[in-house]
Amino acid sequence: MPEYLETVVDKFTFRVATDRLYHPEGIWVRPVPGGALPRIRIGVTDFLQQHGGDVAFVSVKAVGTRLIEGEEVASLETIKVNLSLPAPVAGAVVEVNAALEPTPEIVNQDPYGEGWLAVIDATAWETDRARLLDPQAYFSVMRAQVEQELKQS
Amino acid sequence: MTGKKARVVVVQCSGIGKSFGSVSREAAYELCEQLRPDETELVALSKLVLGEEQARERVRTSPAVTIDGCKLMCAAALVKHSGGTTACEVAVLDVYRRHKELKPEGIAELNDAGKQLARVLAEEVAHKIDDIGRHGARAGGRRA
Repeated sequence: MPEYLETVVDKFTFRVATDRLYHPEGIWVRPVPGGALPRIRIGVTDFLQQHGGDVAFVSVKAVGTRLIEGEEVASLETIKVNLSLPAPVAGAVVEVNAALEPTPEIVNQDPYGEGWLAVIDATAWETDRARLLDPQAYFSVMRAQVEQELKQS
Repeated sequence: MTGKKARVVVVQCSGIGKSFGSVSREAAYELCEQLRPDETELVALSKLVLGEEQARERVRTSPAVTIDGCKLMCAAALVKHSGGTTACEVAVLDVYRRHKELKPEGIAELNDAGKQLARVLAEEVAHKIDDIGRHGARAGGRRA
């Protein structure tokens, strides 16, 4: 499987990393080692960061915050919009990317890598995982969102 | 020898239809018309886009300061494409990150916070232009 699925629309290339799962609102989820509970890292997709535009500020719930699935885990203020990001899984925040405060632009520069948002210890991983999308399924959702945007523009 | 200093050329984002572009435009006007009218000269980005020779000549022969609304940095890119060098590149977003309370909104008419952000930005650039006047331009574009 390639590292990324890609689609080119007009002058934009949108990539979907193939090594993780996705919430349909543009949040990626990737299991990471450590912790008694399943531990996952989250971030935003390439499509979401491009759609939102240059990020001015990122606010992530503090370490220790307990979240239910769908509750706001982070917000992005960009030059275009304010985005509220839902927690893709239930659990507790155990780490926040400290680089986001001094350099929020890393969300735009490297959304699947250095621009990650938080690490969560998932309390209902098996249930939540079943609701997440595999890369190909999210790729289809993303393309539909892109086409919708094109119709509106 | 007259000792007359070369004016600094200011090129700003065209920024049509976006708040941050409007801030760059307001800041450039504030800078060139109010704060440093004798030291600066505004060159329209659109003239560089169209390849107008007089505008290209100005950026080739004078230190240039660019003010961009977003990270595409169109103004800085166009100066370089036109054969010029940027003495200083400023992005509105970077200034906004230091002044979170000044969130620009509105396009045709910026809100008060956006106008204030433009003034702050213009003052920062004015000081950089003073530095350029004192020390001369360094090619390569220092990011503000």
